[in-house]
Amino acid sequence: MISIRTKKGYKLNIAGEPSHELEQLGRPTSVALLPERIPFVKPRLKVKVADQVKVGSPVFEDKRNPDLVFLSPGGGRITKIDFGPRRAIKEIVVELDQDEGYEAFPIFNEAQVENIERQMLVKAIMTGGLWPLFRELPFRDIAAPDSIPPSIIVNLDANEPFQPMSEVYLKGKIELFEFGIKILQKLSEKLFVSTSRNRSFISDQINSYVTHICERVYPADDPGVLLYHIKKSPDENRAWYISGQDVLLLAMLFKAGKYPVERTVVIGGALVRGKKHLLTRIGAPLSHLTKGRTDKTEKARHIVGGIFKGYKGGKDSYMGFYETSLVLIPEGGEKEFLGFARPGFQKSSRSRAFLSFLNKSALPMDCNCHGEERACINCGFCAQVCPVDILPQFTYKCVLVDEIEEAIDHGLLDCVECGLCTYVCPSKLELCNVMKNTKKACYLEQL
Amino acid sequence: MKFLKKIFDSKRKHFTQGGRFEKLHPIFEATETFFFIPGIVTKNDAHVRDSLDLKRLMSMVIIALIPPLFFGIYNTGFQSNIASGLPVTFIAVSLKGLRIVLPVIIVSYVVGFFWEILFASIRKHSISEGFLVTGLLFPLTLPPTIPLWQVAIGISFGVVIGKELFGGTGRNFLNPALTGRAFLFFAYPIKMTGGAVWTVVSNVNSSGVDIFSGATPLAVSAVQGTASFIESLLAKAGFAFPKLFFGLYPGSIGGTSTLMCLTGACLLIFTGIASYRIMIGGVLGVLVAACPGYIMSLVSGNSTVPMLALHPLCHLVMGGFAFGIIYMATDPVSAPGMNTAKWIYGFAIGFLTVLIRIFNPAFPEGVMLAILFMNLFSPLLDYFEINFRLKKRVPNV
Repeated sequence: MISIRTKKGYKLNIAGEPSHELEQLGRPTSVALLPERIPFVKPRLKVKVADQVKVGSPVFEDKRNPDLVFLSPGGGRITKIDFGPRRAIKEIVVELDQDEGYEAFPIFNEAQVENIERQMLVKAIMTGGLWPLFRELPFRDIAAPDSIPPSIIVNLDANEPFQPMSEVYLKGKIELFEFGIKILQKLSEKLFVSTSRNRSFISDQINSYVTHICERVYPADDPGVLLYHIKKSPDENRAWYISGQDVLLLAMLFKAGKYPVERTVVIGGALVRGKKHLLTRIGAPLSHLTKGRTDKTEKARHIVGGIFKGYKGGKDSYMGFYETSLVLIPEGGEKEFLGFARPGFQKSSRSRAFLSFLNKSALPMDCNCHGEERACINCGFCAQVCPVDILPQFTYKCVLVDEIEEAIDHGLLDCVECGLCTYVCPSKLELCNVMKNTKKACYLEQL
Repeated sequence: MKFLKKIFDSKRKHFTQGGRFEKLHPIFEATETFFFIPGIVTKNDAHVRDSLDLKRLMSMVIIALIPPLFFGIYNTGFQSNIASGLPVTFIAVSLKGLRIVLPVIIVSYVVGFFWEILFASIRKHSISEGFLVTGLLFPLTLPPTIPLWQVAIGISFGVVIGKELFGGTGRNFLNPALTGRAFLFFAYPIKMTGGAVWTVVSNVNSSGVDIFSGATPLAVSAVQGTASFIESLLAKAGFAFPKLFFGLYPGSIGGTSTLMCLTGACLLIFTGIASYRIMIGGVLGVLVAACPGYIMSLVSGNSTVPMLALHPLCHLVMGGFAFGIIYMATDPVSAPGMNTAKWIYGFAIGFLTVLIRIFNPAFPEGVMLAILFMNLFSPLLDYFEINFRLKKRVPNV
């Protein structure tokens, strides 16, 4: 086991930490697929409104590679297909039947996985609809099925505030996890399993699988950060990654011959009562998760997928395919009287410019920017937190003047899109967003 | 608070597009955001943001400037009253100091803000907080006898030529406050140098004037004389090391007290707002540059250049070095952004300061020129360090 020392990053101490308790939620009335939230996919619908689908029926495919199918996480009737601007498909809603039908997929036991050809295995995962779980660095698109990755990185615990913890979602499922690892070993010779928690659970149960221990700062856990610290040559750049929970899904697909829809989701944030882990399904409605846990009077922002990397979900939208976290914090649009002059005992900040550096307790935060956008003054705070040693202040300027080559030399593609540069910027510049969009443009140019 | 909010809400319409005072929108905005942090929320990730913004950051610098400012006011009054033969009680001295210093600061702020507002209105952007610091730094570097019209010209030059011409805050490569001061230094040398400018003498008939020599320590040191006597010369003029350190002697308004500057430096370093690398680098630079000359003159016992014989520690507390390296050199915009580059930059400032002091007595205030000179080199230093760093990176293309 190798310890990865990352000097940079940041541990955000924000109020609303969920407990380790796991609650099994009941069945929602509907589930949904959100093609919009799947990176770089060009969906072609295979269903229309009012069609009947089973759990595991193909709902849409990728136009670029029709073998890449996305399956229905529920059995029932398609009630709504929601198009956004330029006919981007936002939501495909399935209203669940009382007893859902299941599509059948081939069952594999461990010996069969041991002996199967790699190509067949890839095919089985693709038809089983779980191929999108594999993502490829550096662009974080869905992994190319016909390529062999230099390595696959499995991350068990995310350090971003309020993500499911491995000891909760792996509890009682160690065997499944081991089976999943066998599948991954078949896909790549090099398999890295990383965690940031060196706790008894890890050392007792899955110690033999863990190859790297990361530090407990955000985003030391990110596969991109791990890769940045262990890679020795440019050939290793295109590693794949998959999250720990998704390894379980793979194993369930092969063990049960059914499209797995189980998800452990964390609900947290200051506006939630009873913050804990919830066992629910892929594509569950947000209202299903928040029911009875929040007061409707407060103006809450629903952040799906994590405080730093997630997206803003509407109150009646759904969990995405990848997201395992729902955080509710106040929107925070209020003006603050003489805010810059207050001692700030409760104001969360990485700097020591507020008295909050004396306050070690988790602080409440909202979505306020705490200031207006200003010109970059080259303070270098962003470079102090960037986990992959990009110099965001310089790289950002390269991008603004269209020097993309120079930005790439600076390590633009190593960017793990953690959002810390944006978080710390006192000029309130959207540094991470600029990087992300530039990466996206680079990717689209390659196609 | 609610009352204020109401005022702003009711008057906002005049300052938005199509309103009567549309052109003055930056003033309205600056005033409003002074009282209220705007309620802007994040549009995308990261959904939460650090509480630190530029307003807070710049206010910390202002807080760090309070010790030299207050001491400067006291000292100015003290020197003036001594020279004029007036009583030196705390209250009398403070009031006198205020009367001399306050107009300088007010003129600096008012004229500077005029330019800021003008450029902000034309460019249609908001007024940057950076000027709050520039507008206070500039007067603190001036001699107390400075005529107010020169203050106005100096700050105008600093803001317009030093900053706005290049695109405003964040794009200037020179420190605007120092640019203004350098302009005054070269344009009006009589008012900026020499022995007479550092003390305001208000009562010419008093007998105090006769026994008072207005020379600053730097001027005393630069006097041609036998080198081995330089320290005794300084001591004779009343400038022993402790006195230089505490700063109760004639000099620029804010720059005399090394102790007060150090207090500010502690705050700046603790909050992480100014770079300790630049400050320590600067101190090292001074020591490295001053030691050889000092040792040489100790050994030979004689030197043609009196400054060479000065104890290296004296260089640290003399003139505006402490003020310059702590407040001026650490301006993040005109300093390099990379860590090693900051060490080199700081070191070079210290080194050049001593070189200028020793070899060019015509410019006793070396630190100002050293900082401006190194400002020019900071992009180059950054460039070299970034290229060096990129070579070590595993490419990802």
